Amino acid sequence: MWISLLGVVALGYAVSRVLLGYPRPPRQMAVLARSEAAFVAGAAEATFPAGGGIPPSGLDADLPGYTDRLMAAAQPRMRLLMHLLFFLIEHATLFFPAPGRGGRRRFSELDLEQRAAVLEGWRTSRLFPRRLVFASLRAILTMGYFGYPAVLRQLGLAPYEIRTPICEVDLWYPRIGASRASIRLTPADLTPPSDGTPIPLDAPLHPAYREGAA
Amino acid sequence: MSAADVDLRVFADYDRDVREEADVVVVGSGPCGAVVAKELTDAGQRVVLLEEGPPFTPADYELDGPFSMARNMREGGLRTTLGTVIPTMQAICLGGGSLVNSAICVRAPDFVLDRWCSDFELPHTRRADLDPHYDAVGAFLGIAPTPENVLGQRNLLFKKGCDALGIPSEPISRNVRGCRGSGECFTGCRSRAKQSMDVSYVPAALRGGAKVLTSVRVEQVLVEGRRATGIAGRVVQPFSGKPSFEVRVRARRVVLAAGCMATPVLLQKSGDLANGSGQVGANLQFHPGVAIVGVFPELVHPQFGATQGYQSLHFLRNGFKLETLWAPPAVLAVRMPGAGLALKQRLALAPHSAVWDAIASCNRSLGSVRARRRGLDPKLTWNFHPDDVPILAHALHTLARIFFAAGAKVVIPGVHGVPEELHSLAEAEILRTRRFRASEFVTASNHAFCTTRMHGDPRRGVVDELGRCHDLDGLYIADTGVFPQCPSVNPMWTGMALAHRTAQHIAAGG
Repeated sequence: MWISLLGVVALGYAVSRVLLGYPRPPRQMAVLARSEAAFVAGAAEATFPAGGGIPPSGLDADLPGYTDRLMAAAQPRMRLLMHLLFFLIEHATLFFPAPGRGGRRRFSELDLEQRAAVLEGWRTSRLFPRRLVFASLRAILTMGYFGYPAVLRQLGLAPYEIRTPICEVDLWYPRIGASRASIRLTPADLTPPSDGTPIPLDAPLHPAYREGAA
Repeated sequence: MSAADVDLRVFADYDRDVREEADVVVVGSGPCGAVVAKELTDAGQRVVLLEEGPPFTPADYELDGPFSMARNMREGGLRTTLGTVIPTMQAICLGGGSLVNSAICVRAPDFVLDRWCSDFELPHTRRADLDPHYDAVGAFLGIAPTPENVLGQRNLLFKKGCDALGIPSEPISRNVRGCRGSGECFTGCRSRAKQSMDVSYVPAALRGGAKVLTSVRVEQVLVEGRRATGIAGRVVQPFSGKPSFEVRVRARRVVLAAGCMATPVLLQKSGDLANGSGQVGANLQFHPGVAIVGVFPELVHPQFGATQGYQSLHFLRNGFKLETLWAPPAVLAVRMPGAGLALKQRLALAPHSAVWDAIASCNRSLGSVRARRRGLDPKLTWNFHPDDVPILAHALHTLARIFFAAGAKVVIPGVHGVPEELHSLAEAEILRTRRFRASEFVTASNHAFCTTRMHGDPRRGVVDELGRCHDLDGLYIADTGVFPQCPSVNPMWTGMALAHRTAQHIAAGG
């Protein structure tokens, strides 16, 4: 009787810990669950906090939104692995609590300092699988951070605007998904190939990376 | 020539099952398959070239590295091995890996070819045998050393460091015409300077009359008795891989050039074909690569310059090759150690940083390619042999020396158990003296070989040195899977030279 009751309570706690109490993300996500969006936001803030050498924070860079788009583009098997990765770190604090008061809360509910400490524990672990888990998470977050145009502009690493020469294959290859009948270019549109003139360091940026671009 | 003059099909063009007949069907439009298709078309053969991916136009390129990989790499660019975990990639697009590699062309060194000849009973694969084929490919693609005006500081600092230490180095020869130094080789060359297969060999084959069917996934090699007679497959939607119409191509000869991670799977899925030797899918080798960051007092402007413009071949006999490196910042930044404000501070040094890498020859580290129960993605297993691990440490120590000789103030090795920043040669000594485990390095490799290796003895190899399968008439393999061991240098040109030889043999009626 008591064991059954204990089991029900434990199950209830586990369910509530995994499923309940997550805030609604600022916008609709295609793939990320509400809990995952909260986790990614928490990890993003801990990995790329405000201040420091590059002004935008991980939250400024909308890493949950980037992660959602990346997962939507990923293949199902990889998407599943990412779901598992987020679940693992979000709930591992149940068994390996964060330092300080309330360290047994789920990762996304921890204070910023506690989240940073938890990630540091994964990063510096003597166990390779733990480091691998951290490296996988940080890779996703870092890719998202560097996918944010303001970060690349700040570092002078944003792609340049390049006028692509039009060559013969442009008369043959349509854009992906379109039919060859959609090609409007004619031989009159061909341009000379690249002459090898180096791109100047102060060349204009690609439009998508300019200040004010969406 | 206009679109109507070439026989090319893309996904939107298919409206029914496809039946074709040809002299030769080539599976895979990467560097090796494209060479075979063009050479055989030139020789007057009716050629059908099949590619699972679509053609990418510059408007289809993604500038964001991870999204680029998600679109043009199998498994979204997130493929890894079991055993020792190492990320590896395989492209899925017209032109294969040539669309998204850095165009490095290096001939396999003499000592490698000599070893192939002596250890694998390949008497006609010496330098003098292969040079005419290297030359033919080189002339067609305009392979030449990277011009000085597009090297950029990132590459020139490598030369400076090597010169200071007396280490021979050289500009990398590449299949590029008119490079502008955009450093975008890995996401597709918007300058259209890189002579990837989709703008070089494949168009040449099309002009010559080859039929090129894209968005076709080959699922089976057809066989009658002891002879390959064609292929069967499906039209697949780009990116989703959703299958639709059936495709069957009957041909007198079948050339598999699907890459060393796909060709063995295709053979295994076709009823374990051509595997009397038991070597199909065995012997998987990589060139594990490690990268290291150097921070200079002056601005390096790393985004400008040939993606990989300088190299040193001096240490090949020690088991490694040194190169400069650039990649989408999002991909490179993943290597930076740390978290929080310390990580941001380190990332903020990017404009002052250069990244160099080493690829290692690890002939003792072997793995396998096996078909999964479902689908055509391979199950890769690979184990880093403990005796090969010190090669990486030696290579990183050498790169650190070159960085400091070039004037770097900080070197970031990115190795577990080593300080995150090294400030002097004395501090870098740890890379030379410490005993490392494989798991302490962050490695990756996009060079993979040997899974259908050539060997003079049919009991020990899948193909002979002309690419002919020992067990099956009419079946050839032309990709890096035929290498008997790793080539110690970037494999593309060697693969193309061997494919050129295979094509000549077929054209001669072989």
